[in-house]
Amino acid sequence: MLQHSISTRDSRMSRRDPSAPLRHVDPVLIGCTIILCIVGVVSVYSSTRGPGPVFSKSYLIKQSMFMVIGAGVLVVFAAVDYRKLHDWAWAFYGVTTAMLVLVVSPLGSQSNGAQSWFALGPFQLQPAEFAKLSLIGVLSFLLSEFRGDIDVRRLLALLGTAAVPMALIMLQPDLGLTLILVVIAMAILLVGGLPTKYIVVLTLVGVIGVVGALNSPVLAEYQRNRLTAFVNPADKSNKALYNIEQSQQAIANGRISGQGLFDGPQTKLGFVPEQETDFIFTAVAEQFGFIGSSLVLLLYGLLCYRIWRTAQVAKDSFGTYVCVGVLAMFAFSAFENVGMAMGIMPVTGIPLLLISAGGSSTITALAALGLVLNVHMRRFQ
Amino acid sequence: MDTTSPRLRMSLLGVIVIGCFVALFARLWYLQVMEAPALAVQASVNRTRTIATEAPRGRIFDAKGRVIVDNRTSLIVSIDRNQLSKVADRNDLIARLADVLTANGVPIKISTIEKRLADKRADQLGLVSIATDVTEEVIHHLSEYAEDFPSVSFERKTVRVYPYGTAAANILGYTGRITAESLKSLEPGTDPDGVVKEYQADSIVGLAGVEKVYETELRGTPGIERVQVDYRNRPVGTESYQPPKSGNDIQLHIDIDVQIRAEQSLVDRLAVLRGTPQRDGAIRAAPAGSVVVLDPQTGGVVALATAPSYDPQEFANGLSQERYEQLQNVNGASALIDRSITGQYAPGSTFKLVTAAAALSNGLIDANSSIYDDGVYTVGNPEQTFQNAGKQKNGTINLVRALTVSSDVYFYWLGDRMDGSTLIQDSATAFGFDKKTGIDLPNESAGYVLTKAEKKALHTKYPTAYPNGDWYTGDNVQLAVGQNVIVVTPLQLARAYATLANGGTVYQPQILWKVLTPNANLSNPDDVLRVVDPLVTGTVTLPADVRGPIISGLEGVTSGAGTASSAFVTFDQRAFPIVGKTGTAQVDGKADTSLFASYGPANAPRWVVTAVMEESGFGAEAAGEVTRRVYEILANQTLTDAGAATTGTRD
Repeated sequence: MLQHSISTRDSRMSRRDPSAPLRHVDPVLIGCTIILCIVGVVSVYSSTRGPGPVFSKSYLIKQSMFMVIGAGVLVVFAAVDYRKLHDWAWAFYGVTTAMLVLVVSPLGSQSNGAQSWFALGPFQLQPAEFAKLSLIGVLSFLLSEFRGDIDVRRLLALLGTAAVPMALIMLQPDLGLTLILVVIAMAILLVGGLPTKYIVVLTLVGVIGVVGALNSPVLAEYQRNRLTAFVNPADKSNKALYNIEQSQQAIANGRISGQGLFDGPQTKLGFVPEQETDFIFTAVAEQFGFIGSSLVLLLYGLLCYRIWRTAQVAKDSFGTYVCVGVLAMFAFSAFENVGMAMGIMPVTGIPLLLISAGGSSTITALAALGLVLNVHMRRFQ
Repeated sequence: MDTTSPRLRMSLLGVIVIGCFVALFARLWYLQVMEAPALAVQASVNRTRTIATEAPRGRIFDAKGRVIVDNRTSLIVSIDRNQLSKVADRNDLIARLADVLTANGVPIKISTIEKRLADKRADQLGLVSIATDVTEEVIHHLSEYAEDFPSVSFERKTVRVYPYGTAAANILGYTGRITAESLKSLEPGTDPDGVVKEYQADSIVGLAGVEKVYETELRGTPGIERVQVDYRNRPVGTESYQPPKSGNDIQLHIDIDVQIRAEQSLVDRLAVLRGTPQRDGAIRAAPAGSVVVLDPQTGGVVALATAPSYDPQEFANGLSQERYEQLQNVNGASALIDRSITGQYAPGSTFKLVTAAAALSNGLIDANSSIYDDGVYTVGNPEQTFQNAGKQKNGTINLVRALTVSSDVYFYWLGDRMDGSTLIQDSATAFGFDKKTGIDLPNESAGYVLTKAEKKALHTKYPTAYPNGDWYTGDNVQLAVGQNVIVVTPLQLARAYATLANGGTVYQPQILWKVLTPNANLSNPDDVLRVVDPLVTGTVTLPADVRGPIISGLEGVTSGAGTASSAFVTFDQRAFPIVGKTGTAQVDGKADTSLFASYGPANAPRWVVTAVMEESGFGAEAAGEVTRRVYEILANQTLTDAGAATTGTRD
């Protein structure tokens, strides 16, 4: 009865207005998101529940809670017309930048050598995660204002806007998140009509910068080791290698069909470090095998395709740029995180969005997907 | 073309993203499908540890079915070093443990425990053994107050036990922890079920004697538990478990009563003679000697005594350098050599058996060929003079008499007549000299019997050690009486007399008689896995006209005018007549080597007994005495066996 009444109301509404946002939600994107979230919660639980016989459920509960909060945030970010959010881009940027300043002040807390979070009771708030979203917003805002007409002055303004959060995050330091911001900025600038010559110059500067950084004292020894471990896997003195080795063995141990849920011995016995976050993919791969882990990658691919598609069909350039930023965030997180676990990318702590444990990253990812849904729904309005 | 076109740029972005995902899929395929088998093995090695439990070794029985090497359970208290490092009141814990051990009959100091904990050797899971052979009370206490003793555990291990103490130590050998080289080179055997008895770093193996030679039989099948460990090497579960199985029991030809008698007689006699002067005034150092008892009908080794000897238990517990050096010089001789198979001596007159056989077989003499023995014999150019012991004149004598009274002159004459040939050497080789007997014990010596060609070759090869490469008639003359160009091992000597006793068959001496099932019941024939058959390595043609005169001559040795009659005065030879020969081999600047080689009873030879004693004087007074004492127990056994009319144990 209830279902019936809802569907009648829907059809009535759509009959009234064929461009109504609710008629154009993207079910594929929502489906992918839900499945990935479920895989994430299960993987986090399997890699944190311990050897038993009494299993720890604290991560399971926390992560589920983040998912619920994230779902709420997603709805909010999808419901409010993104063109209204457009006006809030600078404010959001300002707030996150202020938080990034505060977090490196004595107010912030430290772990693993990086001062990157605020302690909020039992939770840790990582402002750098939100900075991804605010950077997407503010760069999309600027580029949609410039309408493809970019001179050096405007380019410097864009770069300066992007550089502030990057520099602040490097102060923590968090190399992985800085890299994500760089990739997001590059993707938005690319699609935002940055003249090709600038792109060439920026790419050159970037390459020189990376090579220079690796050979200068800017990076700590451990950072350099982590970054270069994948290039030189024979260097036994490099401790970062042990993690990558264990991680690759765990992935290989999954074989084609996987060891089964909760039955991955490498995962279960704690041979892979940071398993619920940076190395979550090893847990997926060992337990679910090539079949399961390639399905997860396919879901990611499909998600990325839907975001890319939304960027194509967006009503305005602001919507396109937002989607491109979100696409860059998801695609690069997946590539870097999974690539690191498989030994083809440098070791940097980047979460596998929607799957790795972590409140700030999960909520940010869901918020970003909310924005994409938002753009998709309102492509006819 | 507008390179800033959003459509173009979007496509470019799409291509990049697709490229990234293709790379991920390719790598995933490589890791999970192509490389998976190799990487998964590595992973499995990472997270499993193998814990091996040594299985009890097989027991060793003597010929009469008595257990001469057994096992017992030893209670061992260990500390898990990894766990100990996390114990808050570590020092208190160690002090408590020392108190409990000391209060329950295992006195130990805190410093001793600390020393053992600091020892780098520990087993695969970091267990360090703190005290062995602790009492049951200790175990009771530790189990009762387990929560007061974190990281402390106990286990029961089987260790070797020797019901007859140090008897037959030279034969049985000893066991100990496997060495790093052996771990690589030692071929693990399989048990009766075909399971490979793999070695681990802390495996116990036979390091000497029968324990070493029959390692593959005696070693049990270790219990193998494969445990899963987590990344901190803590065990979290068992993947597979194969319980330990005892090794095969074995039975030897050794008769422990005879062995003990031989050892004791030898040690006693050496002690009596030590420091006394022999006939020519040289002082007898009497440092060492050996006794061999063989079964002439099978080659079975009934006893192998050597003095000085050692306690194998000392080796099992690890020998200090100081103690090792002490053992290398006990009364001037090393206790670590089994002289019965490794010692090499000039056989002296005991070798006349070989010379006589050579002369008789080749028709040089017959039983009646006589010469006049005036005590001295001169040969060759340049002239060399040889004489009887004490220049004793024996008058007109034939071979039989010459053997009985030990006329060297008669044999100098034979040696002289056979010079230019290798008749004596050939006879010696036929009797089994000049090569290893092949006994199933390590470190056997081969001895040598030089020929003219060999002496030359030795001189060419080692001009300083052998300054003279020419073969003189004098060399052959001395060879005829077992001197100068010949050395033999006591075991070779015993085998030659066994060959005479059994009519010409040369057997390989064997220690092992039967291989039995683990925990065998000797009265159950099904428990015999295999019986080692006698092994014939050659024959000596000994027709009646050769064997007869020799035996006649040797029968007289232990009575009447015989050279060993004094040693056998107290021995009743009517029931147990003995055929034997004394030997007194001269050693430059030292007292003589005393030898006696024999078998008995003459009519139905059952035992061969030889004794060789260094720097102990005349053949009869040292070796003859010891031999007689061994025969006392053998004669007793023969009579008992005849009375009981049982042939069951030795068929």
